[in-house]
Amino acid sequence: MSDKTAAMVSRSEASLLAGWSARGIPLAQIALLALTAAALVVLPFVVTGYVLYIANLLLVFVVLCLGLHLVIGETGQFALAHAAFYGIGIYTSGLAGNAFGWPFPLSMLLAGLIAGAVGVVIGAVALRMRDIYLALATFAFGEAMQWVFLNWDQVTGGPNGLRISPARLGAFEILSDRQAYPVVVVMALLMLLLTIMISRSRLGRAFRAVRESEVAAMAMGVPVRRAKITSFGLSAFYAGVAGSMFATFSTYIHPDSLGFQTTILVLTMVVVGGLGSIAGAVGGAIVFGLISEILRQTPSYQEIIYGLILIVFMMYAPRGLFAFIRDKTGRAARG
Amino acid sequence: MADHLLQVQDLTVKFGGLTAVNRFDIAVQRGTIHALIGPNGAGKSTTFNCISRFYQPTTGTILLDGVDVTNMPASNMARLGVARTFQNLELFGELTVFENVMIGAHVHAGQTWRDALSARPAEVVEHVEHLLERTGLSAYRHARARNLDFGHQKLLELARALAIRPRLLLLDEPAAGLRNREIAALDALLTDLCRREGITILLVEHVMQLVMAISDRVTVLNFGTKIAEGTPEDVRNDPAVIEAYLGQEMAHA
Repeated sequence: MSDKTAAMVSRSEASLLAGWSARGIPLAQIALLALTAAALVVLPFVVTGYVLYIANLLLVFVVLCLGLHLVIGETGQFALAHAAFYGIGIYTSGLAGNAFGWPFPLSMLLAGLIAGAVGVVIGAVALRMRDIYLALATFAFGEAMQWVFLNWDQVTGGPNGLRISPARLGAFEILSDRQAYPVVVVMALLMLLLTIMISRSRLGRAFRAVRESEVAAMAMGVPVRRAKITSFGLSAFYAGVAGSMFATFSTYIHPDSLGFQTTILVLTMVVVGGLGSIAGAVGGAIVFGLISEILRQTPSYQEIIYGLILIVFMMYAPRGLFAFIRDKTGRAARG
Repeated sequence: MADHLLQVQDLTVKFGGLTAVNRFDIAVQRGTIHALIGPNGAGKSTTFNCISRFYQPTTGTILLDGVDVTNMPASNMARLGVARTFQNLELFGELTVFENVMIGAHVHAGQTWRDALSARPAEVVEHVEHLLERTGLSAYRHARARNLDFGHQKLLELARALAIRPRLLLLDEPAAGLRNREIAALDALLTDLCRREGITILLVEHVMQLVMAISDRVTVLNFGTKIAEGTPEDVRNDPAVIEAYLGQEMAHA
């Protein structure tokens, strides 16, 4: 690139930045976004394959958390079947690749759509209930799905697990975490963008109205049941896409990792990050994903430490890690 | 012939063995303020909840502008131009004042998926700003609804209902718990909404000061049955009403 074009680019970037800050997005946030973007781009060139595997896994968790954020954080419906939809996504895209050799973008879409469709059907039944009954009904569905994964041998490989053949697009095959990383990053960013759009839209407002008061939402013309089912279906779609993202860099899946613990792990991430905030869901996924990876070395303490973290957060930072930090730093800044 | 926006015919509501409302009729004329009053437990709120479609009547017919809405789901009423407030506030507590009113404009924010995903149609935002201005809530737009004081919460419910752009505004005890100064402001606002914008208002109310000042017509319920109907003056002087209801009030007045 010649000096002249570089100067032009930087000038247009500067005016873009000025436009953003004029629209009320503070420069600090733009700087943070730029840093994050740079880090995401540079990462694969400076770290080992293992670190990239962790990065991929964290990004899958980010998408899982965004999905759970929609149904629990925005719509206030305590659904506990996220691991089931995640599993449907993994098996769908794995099988589409294994059996039919589908290109991965197509199997990703299929994974999201099938998980979403199952979500709509289950939601239509389960969302007649609320609170603890909804939690129990969706929990039961999650357990039933794990049983299906474990016993439908011909399709899922049952207790032997399923070998996932490398994701492909034409002649290109994803054979390593490093090759999968760009795909996973782009998908995570797309899903994040979609979440922000939904949250700011009329649909997002309808979700929050349902969370805050169902009768008032109804009086405002929000079709409450349809809003709940839409939210649940979307959250299942997210989990399905997360599953297909996992399938791009993973070679194997076993039903053991698709049980209630996984749902609880994602729930913990969303709660620890801060219920009802997108930044909380993303941050919770990253922070808690790292913690859970570190604790993998000491499986016997893992559960105890999860429990402790949850209790501490409920007691001292019920609105989540990020609201807590914001409150503290805000107070410090004000003196 | 009178031009009725709302007609309720032969409405009966039974909860188990209890008859809350018994063969009740009411016709609300377009562009007027109509009050529904009566002692506690007379069936006012039950009637009100039937009209806004939150309760299903045992028998009877509800006509909105001549169209039978007796079996309409509650969430369809906003689209038909019927807005309501709640006796015990039902705000979206964790959301901001602005967002509360934006949700009121839900049915005007578009129908298609593209509309559903567009953040804030300019025309809707403009109307919301206008309503906040009008109810004196502009300064609080970023406050969470649950942090407002009671009087402002009542006004916010009204602003949110107005965002529906209603033909018929159903107000369940709008003056309850307000101070005298606030009631006077409400009085002026409701009169203005009706006279200048032609919004038809049906209100359930205990605060006689408001009812007598603004109502064109008053219907009195007692034990689920209509006992009187007429202008505030007629009702005030009706012996049955004085005995059943106003008697207690007047004696103390």
